[in-house]
Amino acid sequence: MTKTLDCRGLACPAPVLQTKEIIERHRPGEVRVIVDNEAAKQNVSRFLGTQHFEISFEEEGADFHVIGTASGAPLSDATAEEPGTHQGKKKIMVMVSTDRMGHGDDELGLKLMVSFLKTLKEMGDELWRLVFVNNGVKLTISDSEVLPILKGLEQEGIYILVCGTCLTHFDLLEQKQVGETTNMLDIVTAMQLADKVINL
Amino acid sequence: MCGLEFPTNANVIVGLQRADDAGVYRVNDELALIQTVDFFTPIVDDPYWFGQIAAANALSDVYAMGGIPKTAMNLVAFPLKDMDMTVLRQIIQGGLDKMTEASVVLVGGHSIEDTELKYGLSVTGFIHPDRVLTKKGLLAGDSLILTKPLGTGIINTAIKGGLASGETVEGVTRLMAQLNKDAAEIMERYPVHACTDITGFGLLGHLAEMLAESSLSMRLSSRTIPVIQGTLEYAAMGLVPAGTFKNREYRECMVEFSSSVDRLMQDVLFDAQTSGGLLICVDGKKAEGLLEALQNGGVPEATLIGEVIPGPAGKIVVD
Repeated sequence: MTKTLDCRGLACPAPVLQTKEIIERHRPGEVRVIVDNEAAKQNVSRFLGTQHFEISFEEEGADFHVIGTASGAPLSDATAEEPGTHQGKKKIMVMVSTDRMGHGDDELGLKLMVSFLKTLKEMGDELWRLVFVNNGVKLTISDSEVLPILKGLEQEGIYILVCGTCLTHFDLLEQKQVGETTNMLDIVTAMQLADKVINL
Repeated sequence: MCGLEFPTNANVIVGLQRADDAGVYRVNDELALIQTVDFFTPIVDDPYWFGQIAAANALSDVYAMGGIPKTAMNLVAFPLKDMDMTVLRQIIQGGLDKMTEASVVLVGGHSIEDTELKYGLSVTGFIHPDRVLTKKGLLAGDSLILTKPLGTGIINTAIKGGLASGETVEGVTRLMAQLNKDAAEIMERYPVHACTDITGFGLLGHLAEMLAESSLSMRLSSRTIPVIQGTLEYAAMGLVPAGTFKNREYRECMVEFSSSVDRLMQDVLFDAQTSGGLLICVDGKKAEGLLEALQNGGVPEATLIGEVIPGPAGKIVVD
């Protein structure tokens, strides 16, 4: 998936900062940054280089397109193998499709879910993606008891993906407080790339 | 300024005809007045330190001429509607404390309301008419001494982007607020032929100014040039300010880099500085003596970075 960023008219270091944010948030296989001056072109390409992207340029009139391709990225549209932290390590994806753990007693189920999410960090570096679908998305909204735990995981670099269709269905799109809204393609691709998928 | 006609005056020792760090006007055989002015928008977030840096920056041009600053006036542009007066009070206090440190008397000032905050000083200094140090007096055989490390442009860009550590912010703030007073006082005792302070044009830009229209050349040893810690890392991340690129574009025709000077280091050498150190051209035979005196006299980062050589004209070779 290519992320395009228009940084024309922005004073430095804004182009680099915005590029940084886009890469950290989306881990795209390819990023295209449009700038309108030589300084920004050099700064952005230099920054992408440090993030292990291969750089190429295109010119469009007076503007420059700086294109970064993640090294080892497949040519297809699927989410690319991202550089850095997970290379060589097992990638575990946890799919949370409900807001309670187990069946039988809802109160107990919530306690178990809280405990489970708190303990998830014991997976260490191998915890790669945390995906919320169906009722699971309710754990990511304001007032959720596990919100602080999820925010903590996010700060440690775990990618949290929350199903957009589900949020919309429950009319909770505006209330998501953690993670990134995602779609079925990203979820399926993540399942494909993961070494292990745990379903709750 | 092209197209404007400026009248000449016999008492002007340094003026618009050969623009330098400051203007110098002869009063009598013993005394000349140095006049300079400098102001800018905030460099750091803390208003007190902004005042300190702006004052140090303005006073520096007097030191660069070999003179002693005596009096100063505040220049203030303040957004009254959007900013609280306590901010201005802290800026002025910062400036005042720096002036006191330099034994400079604040004799007045002027302020206007403006959408953008600016602060600086207009400064008057004294110098003996025969001892004015311009940018142009350098001689073949002179050694080049730099008194502050490079990198404030790149580091300030990293700070603007919220990517610098608190330690880095503190370090660079103190560096910019440091007066060139001690360096100026020490160099008075040595055969210094030319001097300037390193600011917006970067080290290479200011060296190029010294060489322009001369038959002389300079050789720099990049390995010896002091660089603020973290600068190269931030440069590698693409945090190089636009001013630095402009400096390169303007002067790169005068510079020859050897293959051992990587692109990042080249950027640092062109990096636009704020309130940088003095660049002193001293008789080569006395360079070690001056260096030691500086390092022991409150200018520990003074470094010998190169030399002035006979030719080819107007070239700076960087190894």
